[in-house]
Amino acid sequence: MTAGGEALFAFCALVAVLSALGTVIVHSPIRAAMSLLAHIIALSGLFLLLHAQLLAALQMLVYAGAVVVLFVFVIMMIGPSVPEPPVLRGMVTKTAAIAIMVVLTAILAFSLMPVHMPDIALGPCLPGEGAECDQFGGVGAFSQSLFLDGLVPFELISVLLTVAIVGAIAVARGRSREEVAASQHKRDAQAKAAAEQGAREQAMAAEVSAHGGHG
Amino acid sequence: MGHLIANAWLRGLVHGALLITVLMTAVAWISWFERKFAARVQSRLGPTMVGPAGLLQPIADAFKMFQKEDIIPRGADSLLFRLAPPLTLFLSLATAAVLPIMPGMLASDLDIGVLYALAFSGLLAFPIWVAGWSSANKYALLGGMRMVAQGISYEIPMVLCALVPVVVTGSLSLSEIVKYQAAHHWLVFWPPGIGVIAFVLFFTTALAESNRIPFDIPEAESELVAGPTTEYTAIRFGLFASAEYAHSVVSCALASALFLGGWDGPVLPPSVWMLLKTAALFVIVTWVRWSLLRLRSDQLMALCWKYLVPVSLALVLGAGAWVYVVG
Repeated sequence: MTAGGEALFAFCALVAVLSALGTVIVHSPIRAAMSLLAHIIALSGLFLLLHAQLLAALQMLVYAGAVVVLFVFVIMMIGPSVPEPPVLRGMVTKTAAIAIMVVLTAILAFSLMPVHMPDIALGPCLPGEGAECDQFGGVGAFSQSLFLDGLVPFELISVLLTVAIVGAIAVARGRSREEVAASQHKRDAQAKAAAEQGAREQAMAAEVSAHGGHG
Repeated sequence: MGHLIANAWLRGLVHGALLITVLMTAVAWISWFERKFAARVQSRLGPTMVGPAGLLQPIADAFKMFQKEDIIPRGADSLLFRLAPPLTLFLSLATAAVLPIMPGMLASDLDIGVLYALAFSGLLAFPIWVAGWSSANKYALLGGMRMVAQGISYEIPMVLCALVPVVVTGSLSLSEIVKYQAAHHWLVFWPPGIGVIAFVLFFTTALAESNRIPFDIPEAESELVAGPTTEYTAIRFGLFASAEYAHSVVSCALASALFLGGWDGPVLPPSVWMLLKTAALFVIVTWVRWSLLRLRSDQLMALCWKYLVPVSLALVLGAGAWVYVVG
């Protein structure tokens, strides 16, 4: 990896870590959303260093362009002045949380120790490495695995997402006044029909008992 | 790739610096051009006092911007308030990195140039929205909300229309798309019919993305004072203004690279062709601004979701069918 690549990695990694911390620490929801945005952009920088150009662009388009927009809309709907929930965490919880964090960080650090720098960020392809290295992470290689090797799961996921969208709309939309009226009308008609049926049966029963059964 | 400078880092730096210089200079005199044009449309003279035909007016404006008092409202989130203007300018200039000016000259020949440009121009809604939010001003907040709504809505047909050249040429790299057009047809004529509709729609959505009239509902000076930038003064406002112009110019350059053959053209050198096409598109942008009325919020959304999105989806399908049948 070149010196420039290392500098870029250090910069992106630092921004990613700091903005990730900012997302959870900062009190103002809007600043948290903006830290998340910075984190996403730094991550796509890291993807670029791994030769994953398409992934980097999609990270920007989908996560920065769509997901953060969603957060922004939620923040605007709830408003900035939501009272903060009271802090229920005591000393025991806090100590346990810090202990768990230290252990997890240690595990992560030890498992990453044998990883060398070239694995973190890829350098340019050497002359002997051929076409496979050149295309690694490119649009061609990516779509190869997406549309040929993994076509069935990919299409299934898209169907699943469509179903989820339809379901979400059906749940969230509620019913219009006409629909409520129509279903009320239908229910009324059913109740009326049931009442008529009941009355008819009663009348029949009365008739039967009046004539003394099988006569 | 026959680049003029071999080292990628050096090339990026030199071309980046060059691009920013050219763009910012262009932006200054584009503001002069727009004022002159507007004046002619309205039977006025426009700037005449500073320099011949008012040509030095942009420099005087810049000095004025630097001298004015810098005000940050008391209720504002001052960190975000300060951050928004430079971020806006950064994002609108960052898009320019993948623009092919002439063969072998572009700051970065990304595989995914088209996606990169669209991703950055889609992000532009954020700093403007942050500006509106952090100003602690109702007009600014309303403008910011409209900005986000408009930005994400118009991004969809924009991406879809940009997919038509991608489908036809089979490449996401802008320089490859321009090379294809130089070798075959300009994509505005090819596939016949589909290309020209895609170009018109792309241009329309680009207008909307850069908040130009008739799509300037986030600013809407007759109802929202100045939208998200209401509370901004001095050079912070100047940054927003130049970012808007820079974004318009970059969008025009993107449209000419995608559909009008980029640097391809007879006799004149390639870079001149690219500049000419971009300039011609920008004249149309200005012309539209001073001829049409602003759309209402609901008309804006209806236009996007009821007409532009379905038509652009059909265009992508049509382009795919064309490639499948004709090749």
